[in-house]
Amino acid sequence: MSDEHRFEEEEFTTQFNGKTLLRLLGQLRPHWKWVAGFLVSIMVVSSLESYFTFLSKRIVDEGIIGQNREALISILTQYGVLMVIQIFFVFAFIYLTGVLGYRVQYDMRKTMFARLQSLSFSYYDRTPVGWIMSRMTSDPGRIADLMTWGLLDVTWALMNITTALFFMFMINWQLAIVVMLTLPILLAVAVWFKQRILVEYRKTRKLNSQITGTMNENITGVRVVKALRRENANLIEFNQLTGDMYRSSYRAAWLSALFLPMVQIISAFAVGAVVLGGGLQVPTGAMTIGGIQAFVSYITFMMWPVQDLARVYASMQQAIASAERVFSLMDSQPEIVDRTDAYDPGTLRGDIVFEHVDFYYDPKKPVLKDFNLHIKQGETIALVGATGGGKSTIVNLVCRFYEPRSGRILIGGQDYTTMPLHAIHSRIGMVLQTPHLFSGTIRDNIRYGRLDATDQEVEDAAKLAGADEFITKFDKGYEEEVGEGGVLLSVGQKQLLSLARAVLADPEIFIMDEATSSVDTLTEALIQQGMEQIMSGRTSFVIAHRLSTIKRADRIVVIANGQIEEMGSHRELLRQRGHYYNLYTQQFRQELEREYDEILNLVPVKTESDRIAV
Amino acid sequence: MPTTTLTAPQGVQQPDYDLKKDVTKNRLLGLWRLMYGYRWIYIWATLALGIAALAKSGTLLLLRYFVDNILLQPNTIFLHALPNTILPTDQPVLAGFFSETLPITTPPLQVFVLIALGFVFLAGAEGWFTFLSGRAAARTSEGIAYRLRNYLFDHIQRLSFSYHDKNQTGDLLQRSTSDVDAVRQFFAEQGVGVGRIVLLFLINFAAIAAIHWQLALFSSLVVPLVVGVSLWFFQRVSQRYEAVQNQEAILSSRLQENLTGVRVVKAFARQAYETKRFEKENWHYYELGRDELVMHSFYWPITDAITGVQLIGGYLIAALMVLDGALTVGDYMAYAGMLVYVIFPMRNLGRIIVQMSTGLVSYDRVAEVIREDREPLEENSAPPVADLKGEVVFDHVSFEYDPNLPVLKNVSFTVKAGQVIALMGATGSGKTTITNLLNRFYEYKQGSIRLDGIELNQYPRDFLRRNIGVVQQEPFLFSRSIRENITYSVGRDVTEAEVEAAAKAAAIHQVILSFPEGYNTLVGERGVTLSGGQKQRVTLARTLLKNPRILILDDATSSVDTETEAAIRSALKQLMPGRTTFIIAHRIQTVMNADLIIVFDQGTIAQMGTHDQLLRDPDGIYARIYDMQSRIDEELEKELSLE
Repeated sequence: MSDEHRFEEEEFTTQFNGKTLLRLLGQLRPHWKWVAGFLVSIMVVSSLESYFTFLSKRIVDEGIIGQNREALISILTQYGVLMVIQIFFVFAFIYLTGVLGYRVQYDMRKTMFARLQSLSFSYYDRTPVGWIMSRMTSDPGRIADLMTWGLLDVTWALMNITTALFFMFMINWQLAIVVMLTLPILLAVAVWFKQRILVEYRKTRKLNSQITGTMNENITGVRVVKALRRENANLIEFNQLTGDMYRSSYRAAWLSALFLPMVQIISAFAVGAVVLGGGLQVPTGAMTIGGIQAFVSYITFMMWPVQDLARVYASMQQAIASAERVFSLMDSQPEIVDRTDAYDPGTLRGDIVFEHVDFYYDPKKPVLKDFNLHIKQGETIALVGATGGGKSTIVNLVCRFYEPRSGRILIGGQDYTTMPLHAIHSRIGMVLQTPHLFSGTIRDNIRYGRLDATDQEVEDAAKLAGADEFITKFDKGYEEEVGEGGVLLSVGQKQLLSLARAVLADPEIFIMDEATSSVDTLTEALIQQGMEQIMSGRTSFVIAHRLSTIKRADRIVVIANGQIEEMGSHRELLRQRGHYYNLYTQQFRQELEREYDEILNLVPVKTESDRIAV
Repeated sequence: MPTTTLTAPQGVQQPDYDLKKDVTKNRLLGLWRLMYGYRWIYIWATLALGIAALAKSGTLLLLRYFVDNILLQPNTIFLHALPNTILPTDQPVLAGFFSETLPITTPPLQVFVLIALGFVFLAGAEGWFTFLSGRAAARTSEGIAYRLRNYLFDHIQRLSFSYHDKNQTGDLLQRSTSDVDAVRQFFAEQGVGVGRIVLLFLINFAAIAAIHWQLALFSSLVVPLVVGVSLWFFQRVSQRYEAVQNQEAILSSRLQENLTGVRVVKAFARQAYETKRFEKENWHYYELGRDELVMHSFYWPITDAITGVQLIGGYLIAALMVLDGALTVGDYMAYAGMLVYVIFPMRNLGRIIVQMSTGLVSYDRVAEVIREDREPLEENSAPPVADLKGEVVFDHVSFEYDPNLPVLKNVSFTVKAGQVIALMGATGSGKTTITNLLNRFYEYKQGSIRLDGIELNQYPRDFLRRNIGVVQQEPFLFSRSIRENITYSVGRDVTEAEVEAAAKAAAIHQVILSFPEGYNTLVGERGVTLSGGQKQRVTLARTLLKNPRILILDDATSSVDTETEAAIRSALKQLMPGRTTFIIAHRIQTVMNADLIIVFDQGTIAQMGTHDQLLRDPDGIYARIYDMQSRIDEELEKELSLE
């Protein structure tokens, strides 16, 4: 199956997948006591419901028509006592089913999350975040619903129908057979309806998300829309969508409105048959008046279990499709795993050697071809070159986020695939181009580098990285919240924090992907200082965008098309007047041009671009 | 105010109804007014429910008649009182022939058939009217939602820039989607839902009262209690429910953060830590869900108990009344059936009323947007000139977005038709404001701006925007094909050649061809991701195709490399003759050939003139920028000579 199709949402297989259903039920095994509890409770409740109708019949026949006051009182007492019992079981089934539902969701999310943490990068490359999000958020709810409330409803419905039929047979078997014959018709009609309704609702859901998308785009791009005078055309297009939405949801709504009346009318014929057949038998005593009443109640009530069965059946397909996707996530295997004989050398200090390394993400598009590079312990390497040339790949390989497709990478003379993953990851520090922070306080974020660091160590790391100054300016200092993903901080501040985080981790190999977006001069200088602090004495790789960084590196490696195009010190490379020379002069111009603004910006004005930005 | 005639789906009432004049602070009144064109349909939806409820009671009354007047007719014999051997039990109609001691008459078969048909008919009527009601309610709610969606969509795109400056996209989006849906649900479910419960109660109550009024009063004793408990419960449970929803949102964002930060998580080997953090939120979600469930698991049994007491009490009293001769057997049976509808539906009243309040709040949020004034686009009817020449005069113009934060201070300059004007200056110095004023995206209040000698605010906005093309600093493309993006603003059929010519002028044609699907390539999430420079060039092509009389390039080539920029510049030169062109730029090369260069500094004009004129003032900003440019070359030389 191609990826495009794999990630299509709302596509449902129509065939019934028994294997997935069985596996789903298997998820309930650890909680079998709960399941047994709610199943028993609902069976009791369901039987009692049928029995109450039977008691009502006896009130009429034995108490009222039989003119027997004692019988009346005794039946009503029985009614009351049973009701108290029923109330207890109602409590039990709501509590057990509902709580179990949440528990099953909890379990599923837990399993999936743990699995996600172990999966390799290649999985994340293949799988859109949105897809994973849906598996983790909406699918567990849908599945848990089927496994708990769905199972409950089916049990209730089947029990209800069975017990009702039992009492009907007790009252009058001929009429009971008539009722039993209408049941399949009822069920067939109900299922037919429910499926159609579900299809319509799916359509409306799809349209609804299209409407939201269009609305969103039009609001985000409203300034362009206005500048281009596109309002009328946009409204006409939007009206197509809302028109479709109207037709589709109206259809869905009236189909659902038709459903219960349809079932009602069919059962009305059964009621008619009972009135006729039962009524005629009353004078002979084969049927009692209370019996007729009971039959009418049973039949009228019959539409609820029928509708529940149809509903569960119809929604089951959707839940099973959800389950298939959830299981596909749970079954995904990490591509990079520790070997059984993995050996932790205890340190990553030592030379790093790329030996004839080939790498590709997609076999059709090789990224690195026979790549060789020897990095000495403590060296700072600047990786330079166009986007897509392979710089990030080299860094990802060093971190063993990916492994070479062929060739090997040696750290301190040992092939790093023979080391446990944790031994590598725990000794590498990394600062990303777009720094990623987690919601929480500044302190939490720095401590991410080493969880057992004391407050003092956190602050020392911040000072070393040059982040202390801006942090202490906040009202709450280190306790300041950074917001979701760090939205409350500027890019420069985020970078300083991620530097501090890396400093605290005290890694043996340091990797930095410099930000391309400009930060103000002061922050820039602080970042430079911070980088210097952390790089001294450590093997470092920098995907460099700033001249000052590049110039400071021990060695500059110019990467183009998966190979080393030029390599050497700044001076050596300039002298070659090759690729690096061009890159450098271009970069040089751009960096100085950027200083225009500083001349013009004698007094910074609160940004106008905030509102003008389109 | 309908600006465009739309084809509405069949069955929609008053699709172009102007909702604005009807918004009000009184929510219920506002919702009533929203129903314009649907009021009778909705009233019918409620009436039909009443008819259905009547039919339901009718069934029970028919049962009563059947029992009292047919089955228990005093002269109908109960044959089982006789020895069974005498008669074939399946032929009761023949009973009369076999009895000699009692004057027995059994009702003819037709009566039974008629009664049976009566049951079928009443059930049919109940079902049919329930359906009709549901359909009418759906028509109303969907129709209202359709009208609201279209109205809001159009309304929002016609609100001014200043409105959008002040309001967040997410908030507007929520108002025009989920709030509209809450209003829709108000009509679809809650309005008729309350109607149904109330009608069921009233009709069944009345029917019981018709049988025996004291009994009716007795039977509704617990109704106030049930309603009270229900309201109390659902208010609380909705708070719990909200807590669950909030926690779900927290869970999602934790997850999102983890997934987007997967590199960091892996780089620091923090999988275990992350799992623990997620686990905490996941468990909390479970706990909150459990708390909500606990409430439910108490509510339903407790109301079961309350209604159960009423039920048994009712049965007992009514049965005793039969024994005392105050009621007939049929009365009892009808009563037993109706009693259920008097008390049980009340348990859900609280839920519906609590949900209604969401609908009311959503109405407020929607009304707030509708209340805003649209930007009049076609005001000042006739465009003063058929063909715009493009002479622009700023005469002592001052402007501020926020009071006391002036952006332009007393700015005056003149641009002749067909000239190229370069605007330079730092971010926030007022360059972009000039172009925003020209399009009348904002209204100037001090000074005068004249276009071809006529005061700018005499022109309809529509006319200005059709004749002025802006390539904005941060390009915005729509998620459709590249071709559709380029032709986005032309309201006519465009030939392939025209599209390509525009793309070529913007130096993007070759790039587009390099995509597998060429001009049909989708942009955005579902298609290719374009670089900043590529996006800028597509927007440039889009504006060129519009063929405006006045062209504004707002830092339009800032993300484009120098060579491509040169190519664009020479292409533009051919396209520019006759058009007045404003260029906002940072690079000297981009601006030096302009007919007039204006350097802004904090809202005032610091320098104005041609390249040569400006260089004559060595202390001027322009000269300093120019010097810096030469310095770059010098410094580079120096650096290289160190070798």
